[in-house]
Amino acid sequence: MAPNTEQPAPEPSTAPEKSPNTRRIIAGALVAVLLVGAAFALGRLSAPIATAPSTTSAEAGFARDMRTHHSQAVDMAMIVRDETDDPEIRLLAYDMIMTQQSQAGQMLGWLAEWNLPTTESEPSMTWMTRPALTGGTTHDHATGGAHVAGDPMPGLATSDQMAKLKTLTGVEAEKYFLELMIAHHKGGVEMAQAVLDRSNEKVVVALANGIVYSQTSEIELMETLLSKRQ
Amino acid sequence: MSNNSNLTVKQERDARRAEKVAKLKDQQKKEKRNRFIIIGVSILAILAILATVVLVIVQQANKPDPAAITVDGVETWTLEAGNHVDAAAGVDPANPPTVDYEADYGMNPPAGGNHWAGWLNCGIYTEVQQNERAVHALEHGAIWVTYDPAVLSEEEISTLQNSVPSTYMIVSPYPDLPTPVVASAWGYQVQLDGVDDPRLAEFITKYKENPDGPEYGAACTGAIDGPGKIS
Repeated sequence: MAPNTEQPAPEPSTAPEKSPNTRRIIAGALVAVLLVGAAFALGRLSAPIATAPSTTSAEAGFARDMRTHHSQAVDMAMIVRDETDDPEIRLLAYDMIMTQQSQAGQMLGWLAEWNLPTTESEPSMTWMTRPALTGGTTHDHATGGAHVAGDPMPGLATSDQMAKLKTLTGVEAEKYFLELMIAHHKGGVEMAQAVLDRSNEKVVVALANGIVYSQTSEIELMETLLSKRQ
Repeated sequence: MSNNSNLTVKQERDARRAEKVAKLKDQQKKEKRNRFIIIGVSILAILAILATVVLVIVQQANKPDPAAITVDGVETWTLEAGNHVDAAAGVDPANPPTVDYEADYGMNPPAGGNHWAGWLNCGIYTEVQQNERAVHALEHGAIWVTYDPAVLSEEEISTLQNSVPSTYMIVSPYPDLPTPVVASAWGYQVQLDGVDDPRLAEFITKYKENPDGPEYGAACTGAIDGPGKIS
C-alpha cells in the first residue's frame, strides 16, 4: 500500500497532464503533415509531368515556325491541284495537304496544351541559333548553328515565287511546284533535325522524326517526278 | 477517543484514497479520450491512403497507355522509308511493277515496305486488295486485318467486320494466310487464332495511328477505293 500511495503523489495534477496532451497534438499534426505530403507525392508521381516547354524553348519555336512552314506547303499544294489534271501530281499534292495540315494541327495543339500563344516573343527561328542539347536525340552535329535569327526559314518560297506558281498551268506548273517543294522539304528536314538536336519532348521528337522520314522520301520521289518531266 | 481518532485516521486515509482513485479515474478517462483521438486519426490516415491508392488505380485504368500494352506474339520489322515503285521513270501506268513482300521482307501478308503512290482508302472490303496500295495505307497509320476466306465462316467474317473501329482500319480477305486472321501495322504483325482472339483489340489499340509511326496524321481517305468496298 505504501508505495502505491507514494507513487502518484509527486505532481499528479496539472503539469504532467498537459505535456502528454501537447505531445499528442504535435504527433497528430505531424501525422497530418506527413499524410498531406504523402498524398501530394502520390498524386504528383501518378500525374503526367507538368513541366511544359517555355515560350522561348526550342519546342515552342519549332511548333510555331514549322506551322508557318507547313502552311505554305499546304498553300502550294492546293494551288498546283487547281493547275494540273495529272493524277500523279494531284495525288501527291493531296497527300501533302492532308499530312501537313494534320501535323500543323498537332503543333497548334501542343501550344494550347503548354498554355503558350502562337505569337512569337522573339524573331522567328531564334530557337535554331541556340546551342544543341548535349546528348540530344540525334548525334552530336549541331544543326542550324549557321542560321541567323529573323532570316527567312530554310526552304520557304518567296512571295514572288508563290505569285509565279499561280500564273503557270499544266506541266510547267508541275515542274515549278516540284522545284519549289523539293527546296521546301529540304528546309523542313533541316528544321526537324534542328529540333531533334534540341529537344527530348516525346511528342516533338515523334513528329520531328516523322517529318524527317516522310519528307526525305518525298524529296527522292519528287526528284524522280521532276526528271520524268524534263 | 482512540476509536474516534482511529476513525478519523481511517476516514482520512479513505478520503485520500478516494481522491487518488478519482485522480486515477480522471487520468484514465483522459488517456481513453486520447486513445480515441489516436485511433480516430489512424483510421482517417488509413482511409486517406486507401482512397489515394484507389484513385490512382482508377485514373490509370482510365488512361490506357499504348506503350504499356504488350501483345503476345508480335513480329516486328525495322523498315527504311518506303519508295513509290510506280513513280519511277519509264513505268507503264497501266501496268506498274509489284513488290514481292515475302521475298524482299519475309512478310506474308505484307506489313510495310515499298508500295504504290495511291494508297488504299480505309474501309471494309469483301474482295482481295492490291498489296502495294494497302501497304501505303499502313504507312499512313492504318491497321490491316486480313482473314483467310477458306477458313472463316460467313458469320465469323461478319463478326470480324463489326468488331473493328470505323477509321484507319482495313479489313479484307487474303488467301492462304498462316493463321485464320492476321493483323498488320507498319513494321508490326500478329498472327491470330480466330476472330475472337483478344490480341486483335490489343494490337489495334497499341499500333493504330501510333505517334511513332512513319507518317502520323496522314490521310486514309481520298485516294483509291479498292474493289468490293462495303463501308
